[in-house]
Amino acid sequence: MPWRQSKPMTVQYDSIGGSGLQFFGTVSASISHELKNVLAIINENAGLLEDLTFAARRGAPIDPDRLDRTVQNFTKQIHRADEILKNMNRFAHSVDQFESQVDLHDLVVLVANLAARKAAMGRISLETTAPAQPIHLTCNPFLLENLVWLCLELAIAATGSGRTLTLTPEKTASAIRLHIAGIDGLSETLAMRNAAGIEAILAALGAEMTTDPAGHTLTLSLA
Amino acid sequence: MSEKILLIDDEVDFLSAMSERMKARDMQVTTASSAKEGLEKVTAGSFDAVILDLAMPEMDGIEALKILKEKNPDLQVILLTGHATIKQGIEAMKLGALDLLEKPADINALTEKIKTAQARKMLIVEKKNEEAIRKIMATKGW
Repeated sequence: MPWRQSKPMTVQYDSIGGSGLQFFGTVSASISHELKNVLAIINENAGLLEDLTFAARRGAPIDPDRLDRTVQNFTKQIHRADEILKNMNRFAHSVDQFESQVDLHDLVVLVANLAARKAAMGRISLETTAPAQPIHLTCNPFLLENLVWLCLELAIAATGSGRTLTLTPEKTASAIRLHIAGIDGLSETLAMRNAAGIEAILAALGAEMTTDPAGHTLTLSLA
Repeated sequence: MSEKILLIDDEVDFLSAMSERMKARDMQVTTASSAKEGLEKVTAGSFDAVILDLAMPEMDGIEALKILKEKNPDLQVILLTGHATIKQGIEAMKLGALDLLEKPADINALTEKIKTAQARKMLIVEKKNEEAIRKIMATKGW
């Protein structure tokens, strides 16, 4: 069921200005870096096969276990690249519809996957908790992804290395919320300092953000 | 002479495949899966070249390069990156990196760079030895 009448799409995109484009660029750059790493591993394993072939031509015995390990490395990287590209495709298509019904957990998982590399750079893990029942809401999916991403950026910047951030969607009789828990260094000041980009999207989505530094939690009230 | 290499990259599958290929080329390879581990290994051992990934968790390659060069200015460092930008290249060169190569790297190009690194290191060692001998001779009045 629609939770709120969205504003016309031009108003929604205009309201975030360059921030949305920056989000798109940041995610695309992160994906291309990850794919380069995958290609580098495939390249080295292809090189290994080349080395083994060269040695075999000169009479060296071929170890089937060594070949098997190389094949497994190829398969692992192909699956990894496939996952990256599936996420990229879903993300790219999120601008297709300016308003649609989204499964909040699915969207949160997608954004967490896209942000995984950024989190890993700070040695932070991201976990998502599935709700007992699917939570649907009607909104602009790209704007909501951007909002969750910006909140995760804030959370990652505030949290210390080695920690885990947990994203939990919640639906009550009167509200739909997303909690990001485990943010160690969260303070009102930090939240305010990073709120500039977030505010415009909150306004466009008609959502609210609250922080609980003592409880190490940031909450987005989406309906 | 076999080159002594330290390979630092957080992608363990890359480390394993690349080190195997280098060993097949008669290099002595030590690996580290983080910049912190790499810095510890540099302190503990002697290397002809360090091959350092640019994007790593906690401490990136540029930060690690700064520390490596502060600790050992003669150390020859080759940076590897997914996407090399001119800005990164300039920064790396200013900090004293030998080169910045893009992933996936060509093993022959990398081997050439490693040979250059080893030759540079030997030249530095020779110059230092000459200098030390000159000082001894001057002290003795020879």
